[in-house]
Amino acid sequence: MSRERPLILLILDDEARILSALRRSLRREPYEIFTAESAVEARRVLETEAVDLVLSDHKMPGITGLQFLEEVAARRPEAVRMLITGWTETIDPNAVEALGIRAVIAKPWEDAALKETLRMAAKELGAGAGPAA
Amino acid sequence: MRGSHREEDAPSVRIVVVQPPDHGPRVARGLEALAGRATLEIVHDARRCLARCDAGEVDLLVLDARRRAEAQSVLAATARSGGPPAIVIEPESDDARVLAWYRAGAADCVTAEEVPKRLGAAVSEQLARDRARRAVRGGDLGLAGNREVMEQLNSALLVVDLEGRIVYANPTAEQILGAEGSLHGADAGKRFRAGEDQEPLLLRTLRAGERFKGAEALVTRADGSSAPIGISCAPITSPEGRRSGAVAIFQDLSEVTQRRSHALQTEKLASIGQLAAGVAHEINNPMGFIHANLFQLAEYAEDLQRVWGRVEALRRAAEASDPGAVRDAARALAVASEESDIDFVLGDLSKAIRESQEGSERIRHIVQDLRDFSHQDTGERVFADLNQCLDSTANIVWPMMKHVVTLEKDYAELPPIGCYPMQLKQVFMNLLVNAFQAIEEVVGESGELGTIALSTRIEGERVVVAIRDTGVGIPAEHLERIFDPFFTTKRVGAGTGLGLSTSFGIVQGHGGTLSVESEPGKGTTFRLSLPLDAEPPAAS
Repeated sequence: MSRERPLILLILDDEARILSALRRSLRREPYEIFTAESAVEARRVLETEAVDLVLSDHKMPGITGLQFLEEVAARRPEAVRMLITGWTETIDPNAVEALGIRAVIAKPWEDAALKETLRMAAKELGAGAGPAA
Repeated sequence: MRGSHREEDAPSVRIVVVQPPDHGPRVARGLEALAGRATLEIVHDARRCLARCDAGEVDLLVLDARRRAEAQSVLAATARSGGPPAIVIEPESDDARVLAWYRAGAADCVTAEEVPKRLGAAVSEQLARDRARRAVRGGDLGLAGNREVMEQLNSALLVVDLEGRIVYANPTAEQILGAEGSLHGADAGKRFRAGEDQEPLLLRTLRAGERFKGAEALVTRADGSSAPIGISCAPITSPEGRRSGAVAIFQDLSEVTQRRSHALQTEKLASIGQLAAGVAHEINNPMGFIHANLFQLAEYAEDLQRVWGRVEALRRAAEASDPGAVRDAARALAVASEESDIDFVLGDLSKAIRESQEGSERIRHIVQDLRDFSHQDTGERVFADLNQCLDSTANIVWPMMKHVVTLEKDYAELPPIGCYPMQLKQVFMNLLVNAFQAIEEVVGESGELGTIALSTRIEGERVVVAIRDTGVGIPAEHLERIFDPFFTTKRVGAGTGLGLSTSFGIVQGHGGTLSVESEPGKGTTFRLSLPLDAEPPAAS
């Protein structure tokens, strides 16, 4: 199975402006980006796309990022899961570990740190799934 | 150990101590000085204690408050039935908690730390007061035999005749009233007032036979200054049933008043902490994308500068009329444009700016909401728009709850209401935060949003503000205690247990009432009812 395609990154945040800014930050990075403003939309992407990386907000209407990432872990365990939130202090580190979440990124994010975190995640993904392209 | 001391010949008083069966403050030790004068019984549960009280077998209760709920229920029950005075032993050396016990009806409160030093004195004091009260109730004022007791009282004791002239004042009364010479015959009728425009308390007792128990009032001292006191008044009736005067027992509350304002401050700080967390987050989101956008905009600026450099080079080549140089410069421009993805940059530039402007506009709104909320409160009574108070409070707490709550508003047109707006906003905030937390518990399970419905109505001579939520609801056994100080079912750190009792106090201070209806699983409604003021708002 070849890995010629770019990695697919799914971003979930109920705030459209955050999605837009994240797209901007990552526009020169080698990801094909899908954004979703709700868990319903995000689930649809998970169904149709071979998502490699998931970056989710935490506090959202009706669902938390941890809950959504738990769902991702069940549906697509090979995807790297990350949280991006302004409430880092309220996130239970045990839950993060239990759900195998790779990184918790604080909002507002530093451009370089965000890119680096995603690159590291992508690299591990490549290593785990065989040689990357 | 079950302590029991009795001497046959001494008039024995009966003290019941309620405490958990394990080691606690050495209550019995603290009461050693009373050996021979009192029987001491230690019981471990409220039920047994109340049975003793009901049978009239108790002169004084000592409640170990390590079991808060139990101590509160005993206090509430004895207060309702006019039972014996109770001294509470508070495990923590915390002014706010001590104050809360006074407010809950304790005759005195001693912290566990103070037990060895102060408990004995506190008990003697209560017993003396009780004896004095009974002596006075006895008929002929019983002054002769009990004079010594009355002189020793730490509480002020005042006896007046039908005209309100002082028949007897003990030294503590003289001290509080600030008299220089003897008070005998001085007019005391108008000296105790519960409010500006109300008839003085003693006159009410003399005229209509009204009784007061632990009323808060101001006493006018000899020098014209006033001091806060807690006062109990009762008419004195002759054996034939004729009213012959009145007796008043009062304590200086200056210190307690200070403690109370301290407790209110504590509660206010807790609310502000919650508020700050919500506001911080609400500002953080727009900050997040503004911050990221500015970073990108800086990159766009660099891209544009690079491309503009090529444009300049092309212009210079064109001006030099060197076709080869023009062609090279044009190619360089094309490469730079391509590298910088200049079409995208140009398209996204204004979008990034517009979105950032929107974000800063949002932050501006949040700051404006904060200003409206904290609108310079002079601490004085003013005429305010309750709908606006409710709105500005809802705006402030909205950010923390918007993920789990939909808000419904149904306001009636209201006239300006005479009130302390900041205090009422604090009440609204407490109620809104409670409603939110009640919904959060339900939503955590189902994922569906809850509803908070705010309504204002005019009902007769009153304004009624209702805050209804579709949260977990409150079990019946908690319902009657939710306004008690420190009663909380929230997890540690989530609430001080003071929110509702403070709110209750604030609403009462406005001459209003705060009531609750709840059904577990359905939700809860708090109704706050305030008197409509007949006074027109002062012309500004």
